[in-house]
Amino acid sequence: MLLEAQGIVKAFGSFRAVDQANLVVAENELIGLIGPNGAGKSTFFNCLAGDTRPTSGTIRFRGQEITRLSPDRHARLGLARTFQVPIVFAGMTVRENVMVGALLRHPHRRRAADEADELLHFTGLAERAEMPVTALGTPGRKRVEIARALATEPRLLLLDEALAGLTSSEVEAAIELVERIHARGVTLIVVEHIMEVIHRLTERVLVFHQGRVIAEGTPAEVTADPTVIAAYLGRRRGRAQ
Amino acid sequence: MIPLRRAGPVAVLVILAIAPFLTANPFYQRIAALVVLAAISASAWNVIGGYAGQISFGHSIYFGIGAYASLLLFGRFGLPPIAGAPLGIIASFVVSLIIGPPTFRLRGHYFSMGTFAIAALAEILIVNWKFAGGAIGLMGPAMPRSLADLLFRNSLPYYAIFLAVLALLLALTHLMQRSRMGFYLRAIGAGERAAESLGVPVQRYKLYALLISGAFTALAGSLYAVMIGFVDPESGFGILISVNMVVIAALGGVGTLFGPLVGAIILVPLQETTNALLGGSGTGAAYVAYGLIIMLIARFSPGGLAELWPLINRHGRRRAA
Repeated sequence: MLLEAQGIVKAFGSFRAVDQANLVVAENELIGLIGPNGAGKSTFFNCLAGDTRPTSGTIRFRGQEITRLSPDRHARLGLARTFQVPIVFAGMTVRENVMVGALLRHPHRRRAADEADELLHFTGLAERAEMPVTALGTPGRKRVEIARALATEPRLLLLDEALAGLTSSEVEAAIELVERIHARGVTLIVVEHIMEVIHRLTERVLVFHQGRVIAEGTPAEVTADPTVIAAYLGRRRGRAQ
Repeated sequence: MIPLRRAGPVAVLVILAIAPFLTANPFYQRIAALVVLAAISASAWNVIGGYAGQISFGHSIYFGIGAYASLLLFGRFGLPPIAGAPLGIIASFVVSLIIGPPTFRLRGHYFSMGTFAIAALAEILIVNWKFAGGAIGLMGPAMPRSLADLLFRNSLPYYAIFLAVLALLLALTHLMQRSRMGFYLRAIGAGERAAESLGVPVQRYKLYALLISGAFTALAGSLYAVMIGFVDPESGFGILISVNMVVIAALGGVGTLFGPLVGAIILVPLQETTNALLGGSGTGAAYVAYGLIIMLIARFSPGGLAELWPLINRHGRRRAA
């Protein structure tokens, strides 16, 4: 197994943002995490990336326990991520942003620049390589984040709402990009709101609600699941009965 | 375009190398030496404050350590003051290792406030440390005993020594800028969380930056003591020493190679002339001007003067749309 998360709990005081979540990811999978706002998927995601330390539970990556390792150690081991709101390095060009990622495996500037160029080409940013990164809009910045994360040569990439806030044509391009990343042999976990995207991209989905995983299966299975429908649409129907 | 960009810095260095020799006026020569000295400490500050974006207001500690190391070695052991420079650098490493890790846990303004508090504390400690002259301070040699005392009537030898140190520091900074460390520091300054997620060991790189920055600031302090021959708690550890470095770097452009030098060329003469015009009671006047400068930078050009350069010079280059 590439990644195994068992019994993950993240408590803030008496509130459990994530409550006993489990996830097992095999090499080359493409997994979706969905759920309404505040369901705990982002917190869970941050636990996997090392940004948040879980209150209890263990996470193993390629057989090694990583539960309490810092985010930079995660990157070193081959687990990369993007952020819901892109954090680009202002004051640098697009290429330099990607080079920061590439320098992890290629300490020499020249090599890192070559690696960055390859990924800028892959993500469709080649023509904007020399631009200051702050000149890009949200879709461009999301691509920079993806290119930068790929530059660390991850085995597993966590995409946090990489498609949120994009127009439909941009979503189309982004879906195609995610598919190509998957085709490169990178295992992916994507947090996403848009059901259509989940349907098209993923083979297996986990549905979060109130900190718990309430359903798991293929996109078709979970969307037909009554508990999932109740979680998304509320319990009005249930109360009326 | 590229040769032009290379020519700029070279021209600056050539002008700097000959400038003070063009005047026989000792007042101007002294200012020239002080400009280069201020450029050293501001450029040293720039490594952690500019590139890594950690705005330290505690660098007076390093400056004071260097200055005191020099004059303590002279005053207590009769050694030439410059012998204190390596001692000051070693002491700066110890200080960085002690104050770095805890303050780096603070982010943004909190880091600035934390370092400010530590510097204020250091000044109080020195005032109460009898061995180091207490509130009165320490004197350097009154008459040169040998060349090693580096005591000259004229400011030009100091100017030459300072310029050599500045050239070394800027060369190192230039190399750093192009290396992995330079990229990592800029990434840390621009977004610590993202840098971490890309495998940058953030705390470790901040410490590297502080070690380099502190060492050169301590060296600047030693050089100051060698030239001036006197240091007291205020001129060594005073909070205005820190403020000076920050304002000079901010005016020229933080996180740029030549920004601090440009800032020093503008601000130090301003400070020295107001001091000369208004006498001892007017030493605060320059800081009134500093306040105004800080407001103007913050309002119109947060990147310092370096931000305005590309607009003026590189008209051909694409300004991002």
